[in-house]
Amino acid sequence: MLQLVFSVPIIAGSAVFFLPVKLGRSILMATAFLHSSITALEWFHVTGPLQTKYFSNTPEGMLVLAIMSFLFLFISLYTVFYMAEVEMSKEPIFNASMMLFLGAMSMVAVADHIIMLWVAVEATTLTSAPLIFVHRSKESLEATWKYVLICSVGIALALLGCFFIIFSMEMVNIHVPISFSSLNVVATQLNPVWLKAGFVFIVIGYGTKMGLAPMHTWLPDAHSEAPSPASALLSGALLNCAFLGVYRCHQLMFNAGLGAYSSNVLIAFGLTSMLVSAVFILNQTDYKRMLAYSSIENMGIIAVGIGIGGIAAFGAMLHMIHHSLVKSSLFLSAGNILLGYGTKSIAKTRGMLKLFPRTALTFFAGFAGISGFPPFGLFISEFLIILGAIKAGRYVAISIFILSLILIFAGASRLAMQMIFSDRENVEQLIPERWKRTLPPIVLLLTSLALVIWLPDSLYLTIQNAISSIGGTVNG
Amino acid sequence: MIHISNILLALILLSVLLSLRSNRLMALVKLMAFQGIVVSAVPLLLETAHGVNFNLFMFFLLLVAVKGVLIPGLMYRAVKWVVVDREVEPIIGYHASLFAGLILIVFSVYVTNHLQLAMFSESHKLLLVTAITTMGAGLVLLMARRKAITQVIGYLMMENGIYLIGTALAKQVHTQYVVEFAVLLDLTVAVLVMGIVVNDINHTFDDVDTALMGQLKD
Repeated sequence: MLQLVFSVPIIAGSAVFFLPVKLGRSILMATAFLHSSITALEWFHVTGPLQTKYFSNTPEGMLVLAIMSFLFLFISLYTVFYMAEVEMSKEPIFNASMMLFLGAMSMVAVADHIIMLWVAVEATTLTSAPLIFVHRSKESLEATWKYVLICSVGIALALLGCFFIIFSMEMVNIHVPISFSSLNVVATQLNPVWLKAGFVFIVIGYGTKMGLAPMHTWLPDAHSEAPSPASALLSGALLNCAFLGVYRCHQLMFNAGLGAYSSNVLIAFGLTSMLVSAVFILNQTDYKRMLAYSSIENMGIIAVGIGIGGIAAFGAMLHMIHHSLVKSSLFLSAGNILLGYGTKSIAKTRGMLKLFPRTALTFFAGFAGISGFPPFGLFISEFLIILGAIKAGRYVAISIFILSLILIFAGASRLAMQMIFSDRENVEQLIPERWKRTLPPIVLLLTSLALVIWLPDSLYLTIQNAISSIGGTVNG
Repeated sequence: MIHISNILLALILLSVLLSLRSNRLMALVKLMAFQGIVVSAVPLLLETAHGVNFNLFMFFLLLVAVKGVLIPGLMYRAVKWVVVDREVEPIIGYHASLFAGLILIVFSVYVTNHLQLAMFSESHKLLLVTAITTMGAGLVLLMARRKAITQVIGYLMMENGIYLIGTALAKQVHTQYVVEFAVLLDLTVAVLVMGIVVNDINHTFDDVDTALMGQLKD
């Protein structure tokens, strides 16, 4: 049953190539519905816990899978309306890649075998590449080239890390299947030196994919040049998948008694990412690039939270959920802005409040959410991470953390306010806004709000199970 | 006694050094085909002590088909489409690259000797030396060349190196054919996607020079 979750989108995606163009959009919607129902079945353990040779349903994997499936439902809805208004010459390829991409990401979420996880992560790169260069402009080609090459090389280093971890087991003459679940059992006997080396390579490899600085250079280009639904999926779902790869290895390190080492590595990379995005966000001229740098920042926050552990780990998991919802909503709003103004330049996007009131509302609410304002979930998660850091006595790290948050808020708010509230000066409305395109971002934002007011028990328990293996607790 | 696998490793090192020196794209593709075949044969010959089983041999044939024929074939077509055959003005010159390759060999020997792998036989150590050199040389090619096709070749060489490191360290992987097959599939699709992008770059920019692409920056 677990295999259905990735085989269904892969089969549907491959089928689209051979079917008439007209059918593509309905198949996309159908796949989204089917995928979310399979995920729901798995989530409520209707099929029971599963453990096969290569796949298993772990709590952290299910969390990533559920977020991804939920986002895909609304993003594919948006895509259908979006494509009705833009000319896309290679629409079948776009539709097929969306589904194959979903399949590859689902495979990451359920993979248990170390190398299978690697295969799935690499597959996400390859299936999402066509999404970025679908417009075939000079810029999108450059973005795709950087994306494919930097990520492939990065992920190749992660494969090296996987081999090191396998060697740490063979060196001490243990022979268990090379899956995370069985390695976690024998973790304490593994050779620590090779395990550490493997972890560093895996963080570099999957960290490239996750957008951790200084390996983040592909991310702003790819996110800004991809069509907006694809950017929303890249930012909301793909980065979580890469994070999952890092998180699984962190669990292994923790079980092997090397948790302090891997935590420090994660905190160092996380803080670097936050500082780098703070510097680059200050003078952005392109609003999609601004959002992309904000994704780098948020991935840094998650890495720091996981590294600190305790209640901060709970904060990091909450942050992952809310960041995915809010950021995809922002990218969908950005898609509406791009359709309306025909430009990605912040300077030319003026008077949004008068021209596109609903888009201005979703963009502003999303911006407030991503900056961590109280009604939204990112406030709680960032607060929990800061609380956890103070409890753990990591004062230097948390000072840098808070400083970066302030810098990013200062930089991004100036740009966002300029876009929303400035006067309308000879700006033309290319395509008027429509309810069907503004509804998906609203729904995603409302979901984030709803999860603040009421966190369902099953979600709460899943987060708790996911972080208990790295010593994270809700009670601090 | 000179073991046959040592000859193979020497051939791999030779192909690495030649590719660092080569300035013709076509010659590079042919070198990659040669390297792919030799690299595929390494696990087969290392395991001869335990006897070659049928599965291992079939997998060797598959590896040769993919690394020696299919992937170089894709690269061959990409080079045919592209007008220019020469790498002009590399970022790091050919002599310097060759020198870097030689330094890499020394470095790999140093690293391998300091890893304290008492359980390793001499030929396994040599394998590790070759593997690290191949990986490093792939990275050099990636960074030192401007043509997109040469960068793909650099990536392939790096992947070959990592595969060899896997052969030396993680023996268990090579008995799990499903996993290895999936890795191979990924590699093939990666080269296919890169080939398509290279082709589009060539159409759009009339060249495959990555230095022409500099629109996106902060």
